[in-house]
Amino acid sequence: MSPEPLSPPGAAAAVPERPASESASAAAADAGGEVAYLAALSSLAGMGPARLERLLARWAPKEAWRALASGRLAEAAAAARVGEKVARRWISDAARADPAEIYLRHTRAGVTLRRRGTAAYPERLIGDPEPPAVLFSQGPVELLERPTVTIVGTRRCTRYGADVAFDLGKAAAANGVTVISGLAIGIDAAAHAGALAADGAPPVGVVGSGLDRIYPRENAVLWKIVAQRGLLLAEAPLGAPPERWRFPARNRIMAALSDACVVVESHEDGGAIGTATEAAQRDRTVAAVPGPIRSPASAGSNRLIAEGAGVLCDVEDLLVLLDISRTKLPSPTAAAEADGDAPVDDAPVDDAPVDDATVDDATARAILGAFDWMPATMEMLAARTGLELGELAWHLEGLSASGHLARRGLWYERRGGATAPTGSRG
Amino acid sequence: MTARISSAVLQGVIGQAVSVEVHSSKGLPAFAIVGLPDASCRESRDRVRAAVLSSGFKWPDGRVTVNLAPGGLRKEGAGLDLAIAVAVLVAEEVLTKAQTDGFAFVAELGLDGSLRRVPGTLSLVEAVQVPRVVVAEDAYAEATLGGDLEVQWAPNLAELVRCLKGEADFGLPPTAPPAADADVAEDLRDVRGQPFGRRALEIAAAGGHHLLMVGPPGAGKTMLARRLPGLLPPLDTEAARVVTRIYSAGDFGVPTSALITRPPFRAPHHSATMVALVGGGSRTLRPGEISAAHGGVLFLDELGEFSPVVLDALRQPLEEGVIRVSRAAGSISFPAEFVLVGSMNPCPCGNAGGPGHCRCSDAARVRYARRLSGPLLDRFDMRLFVQRPSADELFRGAPGESSAAVRKRVLAARRRAARRGVRYNSMLGSRALEREAPLSLEAAALAERAVASGELSARGLQRIRCVGLTIADLGGRRPPLRGADVALALQLRNNPVPLDRSYAGSHVA
Repeated sequence: MSPEPLSPPGAAAAVPERPASESASAAAADAGGEVAYLAALSSLAGMGPARLERLLARWAPKEAWRALASGRLAEAAAAARVGEKVARRWISDAARADPAEIYLRHTRAGVTLRRRGTAAYPERLIGDPEPPAVLFSQGPVELLERPTVTIVGTRRCTRYGADVAFDLGKAAAANGVTVISGLAIGIDAAAHAGALAADGAPPVGVVGSGLDRIYPRENAVLWKIVAQRGLLLAEAPLGAPPERWRFPARNRIMAALSDACVVVESHEDGGAIGTATEAAQRDRTVAAVPGPIRSPASAGSNRLIAEGAGVLCDVEDLLVLLDISRTKLPSPTAAAEADGDAPVDDAPVDDAPVDDATVDDATARAILGAFDWMPATMEMLAARTGLELGELAWHLEGLSASGHLARRGLWYERRGGATAPTGSRG
Repeated sequence: MTARISSAVLQGVIGQAVSVEVHSSKGLPAFAIVGLPDASCRESRDRVRAAVLSSGFKWPDGRVTVNLAPGGLRKEGAGLDLAIAVAVLVAEEVLTKAQTDGFAFVAELGLDGSLRRVPGTLSLVEAVQVPRVVVAEDAYAEATLGGDLEVQWAPNLAELVRCLKGEADFGLPPTAPPAADADVAEDLRDVRGQPFGRRALEIAAAGGHHLLMVGPPGAGKTMLARRLPGLLPPLDTEAARVVTRIYSAGDFGVPTSALITRPPFRAPHHSATMVALVGGGSRTLRPGEISAAHGGVLFLDELGEFSPVVLDALRQPLEEGVIRVSRAAGSISFPAEFVLVGSMNPCPCGNAGGPGHCRCSDAARVRYARRLSGPLLDRFDMRLFVQRPSADELFRGAPGESSAAVRKRVLAARRRAARRGVRYNSMLGSRALEREAPLSLEAAALAERAVASGELSARGLQRIRCVGLTIADLGGRRPPLRGADVALALQLRNNPVPLDRSYAGSHVA
């Protein structure tokens, strides 16, 4: 982990836990350097990157904070181009907050502050059209020096999407590629889980809230594992709630950090499309995983393909894609971990997919044939096969147990190779 | 002079014999009723006096005291009107004791002396301990269900006195209007598609298993639920009397043919209060909707909109088949054995899991799901996701099997259950299930897999066996249960409803 380049490094530790007087607090903030003021500024309610940038265009961080703390309402409102109400809130919050305290809270929690223009700032963000003024990180930022791929997609994914995201994440990590995603449920979580399963390059999670505000709750375990083994990044300071507007801003960071951006499944106007657009604007390679044209969960990703994004037909395509856009060679250790050049395309669960040629029951084969490689409910299968419900249920249980089918909610999906089903063999 | 006349009052849905004693003596004119009458009962004073006077009799000049024995029993309702009037007439020597001996009187009086039906006539008639009973004309059919009693009716008090004196004959039994169409208006034949829904209804009807239906608006949940009573076999005589008693006592409407033979279908609105649903009341303890559904179907549409407190009150009756209502005035048990059918949307907007796009946030969906408590959800042996039928099914689908055909299978399955000593399988205890529903090897392997994967709890396994047994019964197969029986039971129980987040937006038409 690279140390925060504060000068002098010992100064922050020398700051008393609770500054007794105004002057002591000001001294502490000075000792923390500009970065403490940046952290304090970004912890104000409603302080997004755009407003922060406008404030910083007018003032240096320290001066901006002083302007707020001393109650220069009209001036601050004009500089940030915000309404009087917002500015008033900032001023009253700033009067109560202490930048030194905010800074200490981060260092005590093991969060590193990385200010734009310092050596600690990730290289990939230098020269970005909208680089964050400050980043909060937890974990080895060196992970970003490897080739990176951002894998994103919808939260409301299908089993197919989750499986593919898992496979892509696993293959990338196994080949020493850092997988970046947003720690949301659905595709993001699957990509992270895949990367962790590979035992290769640890993943990077770029989150919208503060690093102590785990969101969504369902991913708490995954979040903690990524924090332990990989890297967490946020533009928001500790305590920042997961407000809606933070997520599009977060997406641009994921795009900026990536060599390539892969959309696995996305609804027509999904957030993942935003990430892909940001990536395209930054000249990153954008690719998408094709899905059924009648699946709303694939509408956005298919549209990306129609508009010229790369197509991932195979896990290997991802590696080819990264080869093309790769700026650095993978580290030799990562290459060794990758186990030769064999792509890793294991299924996420331990039972391997089985080809339907191995199904020797004619009824079971007929059921598999009725899928057409699309998700189907039991009711749809009953209508297609004409089987009695009990018998159908029995076969579905058997096919799920043998790994031919996967169930997600009401829906069953076929698993396994791409060979077309033969129905009942003659 | 004193007089004593038999009558009865309602305690919940059960009648209690009451004897009405009248004492009339010289003194300042007064009319008092003692013996714990409640407000409606005390109002009898004015009705009785008016009825006696307008029927052309003299009201006693002196002091009249009415005692309702036993004195410790709280009396409510207007059903004692006629008995009080007759007792007064005996005390005034308009009638003799001999003329009223062996008669009980159960009717309310109008101010003009006319006789009116009282709620709970059947229970009241069953309670009286004399061989003959007089009721109002419109209560005649119901009163005749009461057993070996001789039932008489009279149009009004003056006519009744003439009949009792022997100066006239009691009215002939009124000709009951033809029984309302006993046939089921809503037939399963009209349902297109929905193979799962049809099957679940059949299983619910045969085994008495509670059913939860989740689905978008317009998918046909209500339509399916309304067809469940038509699949139930007609009530046997004993059950019919119980249901008729409840309907009469609770004033839920008794048909002119009196005996209710079709299993009832009750669908209270989700704004129903606790008292309306489970029964009770501050003074009068009345049966509620769940008792009105006894022997039939209780359909709770929009289950998520019911107050959670009201829903949790259903747990005892679901378990025991009775509801005990306790008030300061006393505690009463009402029968409440019904098949519960619940329906709800999968999420506030109603589109989750279906072809439309769900517009609800995850948090909203979770909140909606939480309205159903776990213990209540656990009572549903079958959980069904009802999807809108496709256009193809709607316009070109062949009409399904008729209710009558399904009812035949249900009846056969019920007969098998009867051989096990219960009315239907869901009443079997866990030990009886071990004995009656052994699993075949393949079924045991499947169940073991489900338990091992955490999909199924121990209690869940018992319920699976129970539903599996009903499925086997319907198929005319003897236990041990096949793999397919258990697989279908598992499907029906473990359908991930309500409110599974998966596939919310990925329906493939």
